[in-house]
Amino acid sequence: MLSLVLDSMGSFCSRQKPYNEADTEENEQDAEIERRIARETKAEQHIHKLLLLGAGESGKSTIFKQIKLLFQTGFDEAELRSYTSVIHANVYQTIKILYDGAKELAQNESDSSKYVVSLDNKDLGEKLSEIGSRLDYPYLTKEITNEIKTLWNDAAIQETYARGNILQVPDCAQYFMENLERLSEADYVPTKEDVLYARVRTTGVVEIQFSPVGESRKSGEVYRLYDVGGQRNERRKWIHLFEGVTAVIFCAAISEYDQMLFEDETKNRMMETKELFDWVLKQSCFENTSFMLFLNKFDIFEKKVQKVPLNICEWFRDYQPMASGKQEVEHAYEFVKKKFEELYFQSTKPERVDRVFKIYRTTALDQKLVKKTFKLVDETLRRRNLIEAGLL
Amino acid sequence: MPQYQQPLSWRLEGGGRILDLETAVKDGILGGGGGGGGGWGGPGCAAGGEKVDLKKMIEELEPVEDVPSVFICPISLEAMLDPVTLCTGQTYERTNILKWLSMGHLTCPTTMQELWDDAVTPNRTLHQLIHAWFSQRHLRFKKRSEDVQGRAAELLDTLRKVKGHARVQALKELQKMVVDHSSIKKTVADSGSIALLTSLLGPFTSHAVGSEAIGILVNLSLNSEAKANLMQPAKVSLVVDMLNEGTTETRINCTRLIEMLMGEKDFRPEIVSSLSLLVGLMRLVKDKKHHPSGTWAGLSLLKTICSHQRQVRSLIVRVGAVAQLVELLPDSSLECLELALQILNDLSAIPEGRVALKDCPQAIPNAVRLLMRVSESCTQHALSILWAVCKLAPDECASRAVEAGLAAKLLLVIQSGCSPELKQRSAELLKLCSLNYTATLFMSKCKLTGTIQ
Repeated sequence: MLSLVLDSMGSFCSRQKPYNEADTEENEQDAEIERRIARETKAEQHIHKLLLLGAGESGKSTIFKQIKLLFQTGFDEAELRSYTSVIHANVYQTIKILYDGAKELAQNESDSSKYVVSLDNKDLGEKLSEIGSRLDYPYLTKEITNEIKTLWNDAAIQETYARGNILQVPDCAQYFMENLERLSEADYVPTKEDVLYARVRTTGVVEIQFSPVGESRKSGEVYRLYDVGGQRNERRKWIHLFEGVTAVIFCAAISEYDQMLFEDETKNRMMETKELFDWVLKQSCFENTSFMLFLNKFDIFEKKVQKVPLNICEWFRDYQPMASGKQEVEHAYEFVKKKFEELYFQSTKPERVDRVFKIYRTTALDQKLVKKTFKLVDETLRRRNLIEAGLL
Repeated sequence: MPQYQQPLSWRLEGGGRILDLETAVKDGILGGGGGGGGGWGGPGCAAGGEKVDLKKMIEELEPVEDVPSVFICPISLEAMLDPVTLCTGQTYERTNILKWLSMGHLTCPTTMQELWDDAVTPNRTLHQLIHAWFSQRHLRFKKRSEDVQGRAAELLDTLRKVKGHARVQALKELQKMVVDHSSIKKTVADSGSIALLTSLLGPFTSHAVGSEAIGILVNLSLNSEAKANLMQPAKVSLVVDMLNEGTTETRINCTRLIEMLMGEKDFRPEIVSSLSLLVGLMRLVKDKKHHPSGTWAGLSLLKTICSHQRQVRSLIVRVGAVAQLVELLPDSSLECLELALQILNDLSAIPEGRVALKDCPQAIPNAVRLLMRVSESCTQHALSILWAVCKLAPDECASRAVEAGLAAKLLLVIQSGCSPELKQRSAELLKLCSLNYTATLFMSKCKLTGTIQ
């Protein structure tokens, strides 16, 4: 009994003294692991998480592609080629939507005659519509291209295109139709611009890590950008990404005020964006997250606002046009901006009002603009970082 | 010869040096300065001509800090333009000592000795030294001014050509120069650089460039054209952004710039009816502890907005300004108090403002506390606020006010030396408050107890 006590006495004492050999090694390993974990956690902390959110077709993926082009190695030939099938698919989808749409308008509209496709083109239309409904599209040959071109130039189809807002005509329609010759070349390799226009519904989550290289060539900041699908059924996947986000880049296509959702043709797209933005703002995990609102598709907005009044959208019903031409466009843009600002402050609790909130006018297809815009975003986030660290 | 001790009151900030000959030679004062150091003309005429130059130089150099004490007239405590010496050996400015003597005194003002000879002898040596000293200073000053002008012109030229980091550096230096040397302001304004600076502000302007450019513009006098240019929505957005994100100095500059724009006659109210602007202003105002200068600047702009742009008042209430301003009232400086009360008064003119005041628990007690012994303007505003709130909900608010000691305060106001209108209003408010009480109970509320200050 006494020996036991004596033994344990010895071991009690030895806790104050350095450990014996075996223990030392183990502890050394533990310490090393701890250090590694600490280092990696610290490294992770220096990676700023950026989340691209927004309704479907708001331009998130285009911004994503732009960042890739600007701050990573861009698209190599293989990647560019991989978009060929997507682009061809866009062409077939577009012409099908237009032809089917013309038929529908011819039936339902009062001035139906202008939507009736000419007799010569009717067969073409039927054929192309059938192709467009398949799961696999044939390669765009010269022959088919000519047929598509003929149909596109049909008066009825053009009239239908003018009513594009009530159909689900993708924004890339005009661009691809105008470039059909090039797209159907045998050795066609998509250009960067083609890739930016290419439309495919994102599903799941995509991410890239990049470092914006500044003037001084010293970057320092590392960003990880996440792109998600915007349609309703995709949004339930968003919540998994909401932790530890430095900034949310919310894309809102301001040209969509007269369009309906792809997933629900009774819902106005702008109203959907409004509700979505409101929902995102109220998420508790975004208490300290900076919000960058990209009011996107300004190029389309510019043209549309002079023809289609803003008050067609319920949210903008109190809009009063002031002038015309460029001044009107500016006035309309300021109005929309104010509406979003109002929404932000309404949806933000007083304690949270100090988080960064900035609005940017963007045209995601314009690389120069996106670069300039991102420079500002980067500056804002870096300043925020310094302020939080107490250095500013 | 006894060393004359300068009285302590003459010791200037820079420390009046006692000029000794060695130092004078070392500093090149004797014959070193260009203009008129050596070789003055014959007695009389030359002295007259030099005196005018000297006077002009001294004026241009004002204020000079370290004038040697021996150059100072003991009577006027200013540098001597025409030093004359008495028989006692003391030197004074001619006009001053002659005035002294003409008043009948026959003593030396500093030594109090009786004068055995009332002749005044011009002290040529001292005059020459004074002239040389000031000339040298003047030359240095002129050279530095020219340097400054030259440097400013250089910077403006640079700004037309460079971008990025170089641009920021040039702007930073120019901003510092404009603040330190007001002579440059005209140079900048004349060279058409105001247009250049405003053109730098746009939707893609970085914070670094924008904050410096605004820092310069706010110190210049801008004509209507420049102001109209600055009122473009994209530029205003930038200013508002910087008001929200900048350092305190930047924020204050932004408020000053907006105030400058508001003075224009075709100022559009939409410019200030921006929630971001108002939230940013309130954030600036709230930070009383760390940046009190910001609080005053923010309040000043807010007051201007409130009084000139009535439509914006409901927005101001919407961003929760009422509660935040009420919270600010205790421990504020007098200027801030007056501004804050005036804003609250303006806000009480609209229904939402009155409701917000009623719902803010500290509003009534703070207003009551400020009714007396601050300033007449405070009394006026506080009274008006209390009126508005009590009129809105007499039962609820009047009793709260009375509990906070309103009755006694109102009596004090009535008895004070303020304007008759104020006394009239006080009396009416007192009557309004008394309606809910019995006479005796109300009388007890009117007594100044120890708790009411």
